[in-house]
Amino acid sequence: MVLMEHRQGELREISLEMLAKGQELAEKQQAELTAVLLGTGVDSLAADIKRLCHRTLVLEDERLTHFNSEPYQDVLAALIEERKPSLVLIGHTAFGMDLAPALATAGGIPLATDCYEIEVKDDAIVPYRQMYGGKMCTEVHLREAPCTMITVRSGSFPAEGLREINGAIEAVPFAFEKDYSYKKFIQYLEAVVGEVDITQADIIVSVGRGIGGPEHLPVAEELADLLGGVVACSRPVADKQWLPKERQVGTSGKTVKPKFYVALGISGAFQHLAGMQNATTIIAINKDAKAPIFGVADYGIVDDLFKAVPAIVEKLRERKGT
Amino acid sequence: MDFLEKYELSACLQCGKCTGGCPVALRAPLNIRSLMREVLLGGEPESVLEHPELWDCTTCATCTLRCPRGLNPSEFIVGLRAELIEGGRVPKTIIDALEGTYKHGNPWGRARQKRIEWKEGLEVKIIPDEGEAEWLYFIGCAPSYDPRLQGVPRTLCRMLDAAGVSFGILGTKESCCGNEIRRMGEEGLFEELMEENTSHFRSSGATNIVTTSPHCFNVFGNEYDLNGFQVYHYTQLLSGLIKEGKVDLPHTVQKKVVYHDPCFLGKQNGVFDPPREVLRAIPGIELIEFERSRERSLCCEGGGGRMWVEGTGEGERNSEIRVRDAHAMGADVIATACPFCLLTLEDGAKTTGLEEQVFIKDILELVAEAMGFDHE
Amino acid sequence: MDVIVCIKRVPEVAEVDLQVDPTGKGIKEGDLVFSLNDWDNYAVEEAVRIKEKHGGTVTAITVGPEESEDVLRRALALGADEAVRVTDQKMHGSDGYAIAKILAAVIKDMPYDVILTGVQADDDGYGQVGATLAELLGIPHATLVTAMEIGEKRAKVHRELEGGMEEALECALPALFTIQSGINEPRYVSIMGIRKVAKKEIKVLDLTTAGLSPEDVGTAGSMSLIERIFPPPVGEGAEMLTGSPDAVATTVTDIFVKGGVI
Repeated sequence: MVLMEHRQGELREISLEMLAKGQELAEKQQAELTAVLLGTGVDSLAADIKRLCHRTLVLEDERLTHFNSEPYQDVLAALIEERKPSLVLIGHTAFGMDLAPALATAGGIPLATDCYEIEVKDDAIVPYRQMYGGKMCTEVHLREAPCTMITVRSGSFPAEGLREINGAIEAVPFAFEKDYSYKKFIQYLEAVVGEVDITQADIIVSVGRGIGGPEHLPVAEELADLLGGVVACSRPVADKQWLPKERQVGTSGKTVKPKFYVALGISGAFQHLAGMQNATTIIAINKDAKAPIFGVADYGIVDDLFKAVPAIVEKLRERKGT
Repeated sequence: MDFLEKYELSACLQCGKCTGGCPVALRAPLNIRSLMREVLLGGEPESVLEHPELWDCTTCATCTLRCPRGLNPSEFIVGLRAELIEGGRVPKTIIDALEGTYKHGNPWGRARQKRIEWKEGLEVKIIPDEGEAEWLYFIGCAPSYDPRLQGVPRTLCRMLDAAGVSFGILGTKESCCGNEIRRMGEEGLFEELMEENTSHFRSSGATNIVTTSPHCFNVFGNEYDLNGFQVYHYTQLLSGLIKEGKVDLPHTVQKKVVYHDPCFLGKQNGVFDPPREVLRAIPGIELIEFERSRERSLCCEGGGGRMWVEGTGEGERNSEIRVRDAHAMGADVIATACPFCLLTLEDGAKTTGLEEQVFIKDILELVAEAMGFDHE
Repeated sequence: MDVIVCIKRVPEVAEVDLQVDPTGKGIKEGDLVFSLNDWDNYAVEEAVRIKEKHGGTVTAITVGPEESEDVLRRALALGADEAVRVTDQKMHGSDGYAIAKILAAVIKDMPYDVILTGVQADDDGYGQVGATLAELLGIPHATLVTAMEIGEKRAKVHRELEGGMEEALECALPALFTIQSGINEPRYVSIMGIRKVAKKEIKVLDLTTAGLSPEDVGTAGSMSLIERIFPPPVGEGAEMLTGSPDAVATTVTDIFVKGGVI
């Protein structure tokens, strides 16, 4: 059973990723793949989803319009009890992190979170997850139970090769008994433009002196925009005021731990490295093959950034289809 | 002791020689004279703690050296910082440096295990594992971890070997000397560092300690209680070895070099000549002097915690002034004997765009060239 | 306003080379430096700010052996009023679910308006204890909290969503919130500050005084266990990408797609 995740009318990518993996697991276990779609006005989503699984359970209710762990938990608990899936997949997202542990606890369901791989060994589900900031991987043993739950790390399972199964859509009834005013959604808050806190960014494109001047910043900005990230810089750039000081990464600037850190024309002076060396994935582009940044980077490109970056931007646009 | 009494604030003449000589006051609103007066009038330090420029001070101690009444305005600033530290009101980057030091023994927050990576491939005696030595070489945090600086201890070790000096290092047991830590106001952490390092010094069997950094040199010589030890900066040891003919400098280094006196070596501890003696012993070097040299050396703005905090000042940094002056004098190289000066001046060379014209080098890098060492 | 903060002592692994221990189910901890879980640091700071604004008390609780008192002392130095440590040999090997059970047993008889935990822990990154604890106590919860406004009977919070977006919601109190990093700037705790609280009493509870039985805790009371731990397959140093800008660009794009960015 896979919980579909959507926001403001759009199905989130994680949903398709989980369906892809779900299809694979269902086949291995000779079981049915069921998608659960809760919300309001989700007809068109249901139509897309039903092609990819054996059954799409839909419940529309205004209590479910915006994600709220409380009503979602009650509905899912009932569905799990009724339909008895052997495995429940939920995204390890803001959604899933709020819902899964509480749901699992209420139902006595063993839970593994943030899993990047799920295998089937001797008919048992074996999840894999990371520990210590990605430095170690673990094979998890979940207690034997009729149902287990896994929250899935985004991007772990490519949303491709999805088979057309074309199952039925089933509207499920549910009698809400509780008054959920004890946890009430108020509104969404869009990211504030103009005030950038680079320490909170997942993706950072950082420029060093190699950018040459403020007039060349658009090269980095374009890349950052495509990746959904922010632009940061090393100290010389902030000193020259090509970017405001709040964008500076380093010992006398900010320390950042993004998922991706793209260093453009940054030599990797020690004070800079200290501010970003713990980023999950570091990609460095520098003309100097001996630049210290390559010592901490995961991927290195020795090239003129003004050649390398536009090529990357083009490929990204292609892949995004924009 | 009451804050006012501790710093003898009522003895202050308000002559302004302190602020007048302050290298930071050129472009930041740090006015020590005025701060001392404010606290005196306010009766307690609380009245001035809302001054962010308190973190601009480099603790170069020019103010203390100039004070006609022998007061210690530099310590007064440290005292104010201590108040801020106890109240937890500290810039985030300083918190990171202090917590990094507490947890890992260095303000860069680097793993203690990696503190000896600089010596890869070299045979260097690690005293706690391998036994006593006459000289204890204290590397320091920045030279241990920063790739730009790691060549300096490497060269010194090779040179000491070649000169037949019996020495060893503390290895991963070495912790931050605490000079900057104390000057950032974290007295408690400084005491712990001092205790730990001192205990290792005492069990090392050494009678002499030599340091890479003037900061370590300063704090060991003046603030640790190290009876029975002689503390040297490497330029003093090196200059002595050269005079004894124990150092061979066969290669010519054809460069016009200007020497920048680090505050913690020069004006604070009076070590002006040994570095110059070393430079003059290198064949080919033409040694010239800044106008502001020796006691009047222009602080690079790297000390007193400034490696971890931006500073409130606007406009040209001292490091940029230094590089421009060197360039105007036709110097190829600014030589220095302090890791922080080196890093800070190199930043200045980058931001002035002069890094291909004026190279910043540690004296040991020039020695390495003269000795034919591949300075890697 | 009485606040309870649940905290955890975790190893610092940022730059350290981790090694699998002989059991194959854990890592060698010998050389590691331990400290307060980063998220919990923000949680304790937030708790102290609530107290400073609304009055009341802050109680820090941890489950762990004697070494865990370090993090409780830090919490006290940050401004917590009381500290509780729950410990028992049998609790060793507890997963997040078992830990939550232990905390629930201890907390259910304490007065509280707000319970705070970190979003997740630096070591296992499970993110389970908070919401599980709330469920066991029967109180509402909100995770990934980036801002909090406490009222008399209700709290207004912001939750972090993806892509820089947030949502605002309201919870009736008492409630549990898991705190996201960056919600505040934790104050500095000096060595002197920690020395000052060195003599403060830490209440220690065990299985019996916590009202639990052996089956509730440890591996017996857990639903997930580590079967095997292993380092991820990696290459040495930076993988240098070579070839034409076009070829390199393709490789880089693949990296981003794999990372879930595109």
